Amino acid sequence: MRKTHSILIPVGILIFVGLLMVFSSTGLISKAKYGNGYHYLWMHLFTVVIGLAAMLFLAQMDYRKLNNRWVVIILLALSLGLLILVFTGIGVKANGARRWIRLWPSTFQPSEFVKFTTVLALAYYIEKYASKMKSLGYGILIPFAVVGIFQLIIYKQPDFGAIISLGIITIILLFIGGIRLKWNYIAGFLLLGAAGFYKFVWLEPYRKDRVMFFWNPWKDALGKGFHLVQSLLAFGRGGITGVGPGASKQKLFYLPELHTDFIFSLIGEEWGLIGVSCILGLFIWFFIKGTKIAEQTEDPFGYYLAMGLTLMIVTQALINFAVTIGLMPTKGLPLPFISYGGSALLVNMMAVGVLISIQRSVNSKGWTGERGRYIQ
Amino acid sequence: MLWDRAPDADNYAGRKRAIVLKTIVFFCFSVVFFKLFYLMVIQHKGLSEKAEQQYSRAVTLMPQRGTIYDRSMRELAVNIETNSLYAVPVKMENINDVSSRLSPVVKVSANILSSRLADGKGRKSSFMWIARKMDEDMSRGAEKVKDKLKNTVGVVTETKRYYPKGQLAAHILGYTDIDNKGLEGIERRYDKHMKGQVKKVQLGRDAHGLNLANNTEEGIPGNSLLLTIDEGLQHIVERELAGAVETWHAEGAVGIMMDPMTGEIFALANMPTYDLNVPADADVSERRNRAITDSYEPGSTFKVISASGVIEEGLVTPESKFDCSKGYINVGGGKPIRDVHKNGVLTFKECVQKSSNVCLIQAGTILGEKKFYEYVKGFGFGDKTGIDLIGEVGGLLKSPGAWSGRTLATMSIGQEIGVTPLQILRAYSAIANGGRLMKPYIVSEVISPDRRIIEKSSPKVERQVVSEETAKTMRDILKTVVTEGGTAQRASIKGNAVAGKTGTAQMIDPKTGRYSSSDYVSSFVGFVPADNPRISLIIVVFKPRGASYGGTVAAPVFRNIIEQTLTYLDVPMERDENNITLVSR
Repeated sequence: MRKTHSILIPVGILIFVGLLMVFSSTGLISKAKYGNGYHYLWMHLFTVVIGLAAMLFLAQMDYRKLNNRWVVIILLALSLGLLILVFTGIGVKANGARRWIRLWPSTFQPSEFVKFTTVLALAYYIEKYASKMKSLGYGILIPFAVVGIFQLIIYKQPDFGAIISLGIITIILLFIGGIRLKWNYIAGFLLLGAAGFYKFVWLEPYRKDRVMFFWNPWKDALGKGFHLVQSLLAFGRGGITGVGPGASKQKLFYLPELHTDFIFSLIGEEWGLIGVSCILGLFIWFFIKGTKIAEQTEDPFGYYLAMGLTLMIVTQALINFAVTIGLMPTKGLPLPFISYGGSALLVNMMAVGVLISIQRSVNSKGWTGERGRYIQ
Repeated sequence: MLWDRAPDADNYAGRKRAIVLKTIVFFCFSVVFFKLFYLMVIQHKGLSEKAEQQYSRAVTLMPQRGTIYDRSMRELAVNIETNSLYAVPVKMENINDVSSRLSPVVKVSANILSSRLADGKGRKSSFMWIARKMDEDMSRGAEKVKDKLKNTVGVVTETKRYYPKGQLAAHILGYTDIDNKGLEGIERRYDKHMKGQVKKVQLGRDAHGLNLANNTEEGIPGNSLLLTIDEGLQHIVERELAGAVETWHAEGAVGIMMDPMTGEIFALANMPTYDLNVPADADVSERRNRAITDSYEPGSTFKVISASGVIEEGLVTPESKFDCSKGYINVGGGKPIRDVHKNGVLTFKECVQKSSNVCLIQAGTILGEKKFYEYVKGFGFGDKTGIDLIGEVGGLLKSPGAWSGRTLATMSIGQEIGVTPLQILRAYSAIANGGRLMKPYIVSEVISPDRRIIEKSSPKVERQVVSEETAKTMRDILKTVVTEGGTAQRASIKGNAVAGKTGTAQMIDPKTGRYSSSDYVSSFVGFVPADNPRISLIIVVFKPRGASYGGTVAAPVFRNIIEQTLTYLDVPMERDENNITLVSR
């Protein structure tokens, strides 16, 4: 494989593992719901094919075409529109949340698309206003106002995972974008965060429970701590080598959201520490590749875009790991490339497509050997 | 070109920040790895065990209790499937709501239910019975409410003991508790045979509590019992006893029918009785099996003991003369004992026929204390008969050392001794069968679920009490009791000779400790056909009102039962009204 596409190795392996694990996790549910064991697998495979097409399209396209005011505005407007569509007639409700819109043959989750748009818009914004990033207004207030609108709409769905994920990406991009770190900014930020936590978590009984019981899930192992306890049991059962592919017992309806949010636990049970270490390794590999692409480009827009997209995926993976092993309260975030769930997979593959495009532009200008120039 | 365009402190900060960011990301990956290592290596064993526990649950498979059959394999006690309602308190979020929904179904107040459920939730209980073995009405309600209260209440099928004939043979069969454990009668005595074996198995299950293995297993079923009881005869005895109790406004009555040759009990009934399907509604006195658990003074029925003794010892022949013309006899101090009617000089045969106290006391005296006591013991008094029921007593028999000057005389006529109806019947059966004291029994076969006979009872001769000869002599004497001049003409039937003896005994008033002037025990015991006995039967009526003599109260009951029984058993008549033998043997 050419160097251009070497980021595809970890991604390809992760997607392949995803196919295996989706099959392993959904065989039972699928059989119970649809009468055959392959329904979810086919749906997942279908998304992979669509995702590959989208990825190829973006990879052969020059990413710099995205560095355009109108592209950014159109994508932002599109995101906003899609988010609002969720609340209309074509919105789909499931598990008490309206996160999806109907899109034959499946559904689409706009909040995933919003993550992609946000990274793109921030990359455009930071490059464009690089000199003003130190000011409070340009560096902090404007970007957070825009992202905040998205977060507010997503809060209405609600999709807390997406809100957190958007917030983290924004902070990271503004951080490397060079905003001024003043103590009063940080203090104000923390205060705002605390207020938000109080309003949106503490006053919401089910989220409060999640936060409370993540500290000690065993206190109510059959009730509020159930999900986390089952996840911990799955890892515990896995041991070093795992119980073997398909041999999970935790998947017998013990593990909640098995094929989406808790698929990592299933990997832990079936493939053991060896398996989960490989997954960790693949994401680290992806992270190194992604940041390398960013660092190789001399185009600031490319740099921020590559960093943003890479971290969008890696932070989601880290949050997912942390949730399944009880380091963070449970919230619905899929594991990139692996979890079942078309929109996230599609968006992540689009991100990979853009990353390849950035890599290609680096190569075509013969800058491959010169990365030492800016990181020394 | 960010770095080229602005190679200043900011640029440097940007690079530094990228490094900081990467460091944080790698740090996060390491934290995740260490937590994974902790869970999967260090806690591996503990977590695996915890997980294992939830995959299976110990399920107690209740066995089917054995069936009780009568001697013709008619079902007397069976199992039926009923529904029981249980709750899972730990999963309940709104206990008050659950309670108010359950309350009308199980007919328990919502307050009581909610406090019980709250208690269960406090103990983190995942299983609590709400109502067990419900009737059809409750069961239907429970099915409905179960669908509305998913996961927090459920219905399971349990088998319940059911007695299709209700009261029939109540005192023999007994009943079980809610867990099918035998509490009375055969159910208790043969509990270990019938209960079967509970099987404990670990069933795999998923988180929905569904069993992974399709389990239709049960515990190992219990053995069934074949009784010596005949449903038809039992029914006849119970009906006639009930009639007698009603007629005489009696406190109660006992009837026992047995095969004198083998000791098999054909029927055993007590009045008052109760419905086995609702034992809790019955009074203690109704559940009492007086046939074996209460002793009473037998009175004249006991006279066969001394009579048999003097004949066996050769001291007296049926034709020996006794002077009873005084109508009373003085015994060791105290009041003299009288006959009901003054008799003249009687043969010994007539003494028994007319139940002369004066004569039988003389016979007892001839026999002497030691010999008499031997015969009393020999006929099985003072000892349990060993019948396979619960609660049998041996009666009250003082040993000669404790006797007063009157005891020999009074015991000869059935006083100062406590016996059970079954003991008397057994003694008469010995006379009927040629002198062999049989051990009575009720369970003839224990049958395994696959219809093999595991245990089979066979007639057991305890001892030869008197010789064949003496027994025959006594049978001849007892035949005269139901003929002209005897005390129990009302016991005679068409076509077959009856041998038997009346008994009328004053009961001891528990308040005064003396014989009551109004409370009697009237009895009749006998066997038929007298020369070739197929059935022996005792009828004891406690506290009849309006009449007291055994010949008046008990003998007609005896006759009614015997007549129906002989028809039922198709026993041929040995003679017609004109004494022409139809069947010779």
